[in-house]
Amino acid sequence: MHGLNTLFPATDCSLILVILVMPLLGAIVNGLFGKRLGKSAVTLMALSAVGVAFLASVTAYSMLLTQQAQAAHAVGSHAEHPARLAIELWRWFQISAAKDGGPVPIDVAFSIDALSGTMALVVTGVGFLIHLYSTKYMEHDPSYHRFFAYLNLFIFSMLVLILGDNLAVLFVGWEGVGLCSYLLIGFWFEEEKNAAAGKKAFITNRIGDFGLLVAMGLLVYYVGALDWQGIQEGAHRLVTGVELTPTGGDQLIAKVFHALGVNSVSEWFLTPRYAMASTLVALMLFLGCAGKSAQLPLYVWLPDAMAGPTPVSALIHAATMVTAGVYLVCRMAPVFALSPSAMFVIALVGALTALLAASIAFAQKDIKKVLAYSTVSQLGYMFLGVGVGAFTAGFFHVLTHAFFKACLFLGAGSVIHAMHARIHDGDASQDMSFMGGLRRYMPLTFVSFAASWLAIVGFPGTSGFFSKDEILLKAFTSSIGLPNHSGMVEANRGAGGIPITAWPSWGSSLLFTLGVAGAVMTAFYMTRLFVGTFLGEFKGWTIIKGHHAAHNQHGHDDAGHQDGPVAGLDLEGEAPHESPWQMTLPLVVLGSLALFAGLLNMPLFGFEPLGHFLEPVFASVHTVVVRPHEHELAFSLLPFGILAFALGTGTALWVYVAQRGVPAQRFVAMFPGFHRLVADKWRVDEFYKEVVIGALELVADILVWVDKWVVDGLLARVTAGAVAISGALLRLLQTGRLQTYATAMVIGLTGIGWYLTVPHATAAVLGDVVTGTYTLEAPPGIGYAYRWDANGDGKFESEKFAEKRNLELKLERTERRQVVLEVRSAFGQIRRQTFSLERPAEDKSTDLGVQRIDVYPDSKGGRKGVVRRQPGQPNPIKAGSDHAGSAQ
Amino acid sequence: MNLLGHALEHYVALSAVLFAIGAIGFLVRRNLLIQLMCVELMLNAVNLSLVAFNRVHSSDGNGQAFAFFVIAIAAAEAAVGLSIALGFFRLRNSVHSDDADTLRH
Repeated sequence: MHGLNTLFPATDCSLILVILVMPLLGAIVNGLFGKRLGKSAVTLMALSAVGVAFLASVTAYSMLLTQQAQAAHAVGSHAEHPARLAIELWRWFQISAAKDGGPVPIDVAFSIDALSGTMALVVTGVGFLIHLYSTKYMEHDPSYHRFFAYLNLFIFSMLVLILGDNLAVLFVGWEGVGLCSYLLIGFWFEEEKNAAAGKKAFITNRIGDFGLLVAMGLLVYYVGALDWQGIQEGAHRLVTGVELTPTGGDQLIAKVFHALGVNSVSEWFLTPRYAMASTLVALMLFLGCAGKSAQLPLYVWLPDAMAGPTPVSALIHAATMVTAGVYLVCRMAPVFALSPSAMFVIALVGALTALLAASIAFAQKDIKKVLAYSTVSQLGYMFLGVGVGAFTAGFFHVLTHAFFKACLFLGAGSVIHAMHARIHDGDASQDMSFMGGLRRYMPLTFVSFAASWLAIVGFPGTSGFFSKDEILLKAFTSSIGLPNHSGMVEANRGAGGIPITAWPSWGSSLLFTLGVAGAVMTAFYMTRLFVGTFLGEFKGWTIIKGHHAAHNQHGHDDAGHQDGPVAGLDLEGEAPHESPWQMTLPLVVLGSLALFAGLLNMPLFGFEPLGHFLEPVFASVHTVVVRPHEHELAFSLLPFGILAFALGTGTALWVYVAQRGVPAQRFVAMFPGFHRLVADKWRVDEFYKEVVIGALELVADILVWVDKWVVDGLLARVTAGAVAISGALLRLLQTGRLQTYATAMVIGLTGIGWYLTVPHATAAVLGDVVTGTYTLEAPPGIGYAYRWDANGDGKFESEKFAEKRNLELKLERTERRQVVLEVRSAFGQIRRQTFSLERPAEDKSTDLGVQRIDVYPDSKGGRKGVVRRQPGQPNPIKAGSDHAGSAQ
Repeated sequence: MNLLGHALEHYVALSAVLFAIGAIGFLVRRNLLIQLMCVELMLNAVNLSLVAFNRVHSSDGNGQAFAFFVIAIAAAEAAVGLSIALGFFRLRNSVHSDDADTLRH
């Protein structure tokens, strides 16, 4: 261990790079050269990449453990010294958008602490098992190398997300995960619906990502940091009031309504609301989490994402991507904990998601769809956990869920694999109505699936029991108090007036009840799935729809296939079979983890190594309020959890085993409409289509109309019309007669000649107010002669017209003078112009003695003064635009 | 200042009259050949005023030199103009300037 610490020092830990770079390397090699390398090389590359990353994670984890133990030994406290390995690569960029104006540096930096270390272990460990599983599951796929390139890239993105030391780096991974999910869900993009599912996942995720971006902006502004340590230290700055108006600084809408006379509406738009900055940040972050972790209202992408290959479902929707949201909430716990209202929203959304998704799972036939909704439901539990401030409990559920859900998905994949080998129909081989009795044919799959089933329904002693029970307990006992430690609220209340909403008194009971109800439902539908798949009789002998089996292979009678779809045809051919070891080994490992991972954290029995390990991460969270006598409450609430499990499982067993599904059929017959509604997923997708997409389409329609009638109709046609009319007018001039053109020339030339010979009495006046020197300069002209009256006595200086074009004179302070200029043309015409000059009084307002208003530097470096125009006379000034003023 | 016994004004007036005759002739006649002659008349009117002013106002020979340039250009102009007229006649069998209105249509 000492050697390791020397090799990888905690502040410059290149071990992190090993974890990160290996999957990236795998992605690059497989993506670029995979086709030429061949299958075995691709397999080797992909497996070793994730395998080495896993080993490196284990090493890092053990280093963390010793570091923490040493720190605890030295100081005697867990909480003071969070164990942490970090590496800083380079300065990415720096922004200075913080409220206090200070620069906010963003580094490309990675770190591992207890939270990210545990997460990295899960991602690489479960990821490795899924890679191994995929080598067989995807064996015959023509795009084998592409699949593993995506898979490796996915692991890489997820690791960037987890190990990033600030929100910006996390965001890179966050987007990378979204991209990879798009690629993997639409892996079989030849089919339209798969490609559509990929797009749906990506777009829904992007909606959430918008929230994350906004939250990042707010954090930069208020906290002035995006790295974990900086956020942790500066989070208290978020306890400040923010004024919000519905349309921000833009009051156009309000003015429109005001003009319409609807003052109440316009007032609604103008009335500012007040919120706490931490609430805003927390809700925006949660929007991102809801997108990535499939919570209300953005959960709709996850069930559709089952269009991808089953190992992808296991990887993305069980072990890694969807847990990113929970990870983010845990990571940003210091921020979230400052807003009771936002945390209650998170907990409530989690609980409602758990309930809603569970209810949909009741009526699904597709084995993967049931698992998908159960994932959404379990994610809801995690958010319920972290929402009430039980970050450890929520995160522990991430861990156990990764094990049992990955096992369930892979088990389902194994089942589908077997069914597909038998009935050769993509959709039908996922349909539970053709399964049943697989226990006999697939013993290993059955055993591991059973273990995970026990875990998810909460059988006492399994991992799911401990994690779920802890969440239920915390839902009742834990809540978020006002962030008033060290007088933060009180101190800031005086200044900004912080509106703060406390945790509702009925909140805990409500959340607990919802949680228990969800647990009952989970137990019921998962038992239904389990029974329908593995127990009873195999129903795949008879295929309802026609199928396109490779009948020669099965030695099947040709005559039966001539008529296309055949109803009720008995299929001979091979029975479902167990999968090869590459697929069953991950199942067994995950299954045993599903059973025993609960031992990691059993606060019920006072044994919680994981909790202690994670403690320093959440050490800066001070607002979590726990009911007194929690430990006693834990035991008195325990029956609820066990009862939920017993009730759900018992009812399902009674319905589907003892009664062979008759009560369920009777229920469906009694309420066919209701059943269809649930089977159609409460028609949420349709609702979104109508409301969200409908609104978008409405806007698009309006814009099309505007484009068609305003842009095309008005603008284009008016322009074209103006051009046409002016063209028609100008065409009249184009007579084609030489004389017309010649006449125009003669008229024009005569006009110019007339203008040039007529005298114009103008002069540019340049004046220097300081020295009192004024210069008048008349422009030259053909045959012009000039005479001046400089002193304003009515007599010209010489009666004869001369060539002298300029006049210079000196004025005293406040002296006013009339200067007369006469210009005579060659034909004897005379024009006269009077200029009124006045030198202003000395300006005492500037100590330089320079009149700023009147004196401007001219282009030659001299000074220019301005003359005032006499009333009733045309402006005599003909000079540059830079002294367009008037002399005072 | 030898102006052959006449005042400058006489020369300028003659030049103006000649120029006006040329301009009016150019405007009112439709025969291309006549119009070309009118152009020559205007050019020569200008030449006359140029040399007259040169005698009165200048000691170098700028005005006279300028007149030579005008004569040279007038010769070139006459050559180009006449060949256009000739070409036009071959094309349309006419020397009437009103017939040259293809651009209008």
